[in-house]
Amino acid sequence: MNVPNQNATVLLVDDELMVARSLQSLLQLETDWNVLTFSEPERAIEELDRREVDVILSDFLMPIMDGITMLERAKEKQPFASRILLTGYADKANAIRAINEAGLYYYLEKPWDNAHLKLVVRNAVERARLIRDLDGRIAELEQARGELRDIRGKLIRAFL
Amino acid sequence: MSEETLRAEIAQLQLELERAREELAAREAELVASAKLVSLGSLLAGIAHELNSPLGALHSNHDVLKRALGKLQVILEDEVVDETELDELRRVVRALVGVLEVNDLAVHRMVGLVRSLRSFGRPDRSERAFIDINEAIDSTLALLEHQLRDRVEVVRDYDALPPIDCYANQINQVFMNLLVNAAQAIEGPGRITVRTRREADSVLVEVEDTGVGIEPDTLQRIFEPGFTRKGGRIGMGLGLLIVRQIVDRHHGEIAVRSTPGTGTVFTVRLAPLTRSEQPL
Repeated sequence: MNVPNQNATVLLVDDELMVARSLQSLLQLETDWNVLTFSEPERAIEELDRREVDVILSDFLMPIMDGITMLERAKEKQPFASRILLTGYADKANAIRAINEAGLYYYLEKPWDNAHLKLVVRNAVERARLIRDLDGRIAELEQARGELRDIRGKLIRAFL
Repeated sequence: MSEETLRAEIAQLQLELERAREELAAREAELVASAKLVSLGSLLAGIAHELNSPLGALHSNHDVLKRALGKLQVILEDEVVDETELDELRRVVRALVGVLEVNDLAVHRMVGLVRSLRSFGRPDRSERAFIDINEAIDSTLALLEHQLRDRVEVVRDYDALPPIDCYANQINQVFMNLLVNAAQAIEGPGRITVRTRREADSVLVEVEDTGVGIEPDTLQRIFEPGFTRKGGRIGMGLGLLIVRQIVDRHHGEIAVRSTPGTGTVFTVRLAPLTRSEQPL
């Protein structure tokens, strides 16, 4: 396993808990990731206030809140997390809308293939980590630039 | 025109009338059969959807079991279990516990679905039995679960009922059609209330929806063959025609009242059949 993937956190949301739990069994067997399951989207969104996650995978059709809305709200909380939609309906039109409007990372159809799903989630974890890393480096650069500006200011003042 | 010619003409007209009547009856039977196919189609789509989650979970878990077995075989290959392998073993056990829990749920769900189907669609059309109407409604609601779950709340207001002697699959068809219509009448979120009451020997069933309602002039034609709601589905009016036919055959009564914009209530009264009656 790649080092950056260690102890990644994956959040699974499906109103059918048996679906989320079977995905959890797979990922727990095959990886070292923390895998959290939720049957209520609201609870999953609350969890996003408590911890940083790398991947959010949500079912599409759920009562009260659909998967697209759930993933849009998740983006507000954690913009760097990779978001994946899982659906039982081969509802291409809605999937395309979701990918375009909500900026989803991937779209998976039920029934899923475990090997493919694992690969997709693993890549999603790497993507989230890379983006977060990039963001960190940009912040470092910004800070370094600020410091350079300060030094330049001081130097100019010293010579004037 | 002589009397004889007149008689001949009347006889001819009667013959034509009889033929037209037969043709009409045949057309009606065809329409009813096609409506049944439509409702069968929507029922099958529902069942396929209901099976999707438990089947998807079982399918995935089957693969997890294979993966877990593979890991166990690797660990046991050299007959020695080291510290890293012990961690791996714990991981396997944790996954297996999850697999068992989910499989249990999934199998229960599928068994329950098949049980509902069996009690809904008794294969022998002429099978006559004493049935509990409350149970029959519950079986039908179980099959419609996928259509209702996300947006329609179902309120069950049941009385204890005497068993009713009837043709169970036909009575189930009545509830299926009334409940599907109720669900289709509701745009967006809403509520269906199913009331059952005992009145002497007969049973009263009310299906009330908070749907769009039906205009008074339409309400009068609602049980006519070929009636469909504006922009409605093919099966809708025929569904109600079937409902009325079945209720009539059971010597029951069906009534409807509706307030446009508020909702509709269908009331079905069923009395037990008398033993001497011929198969319907």
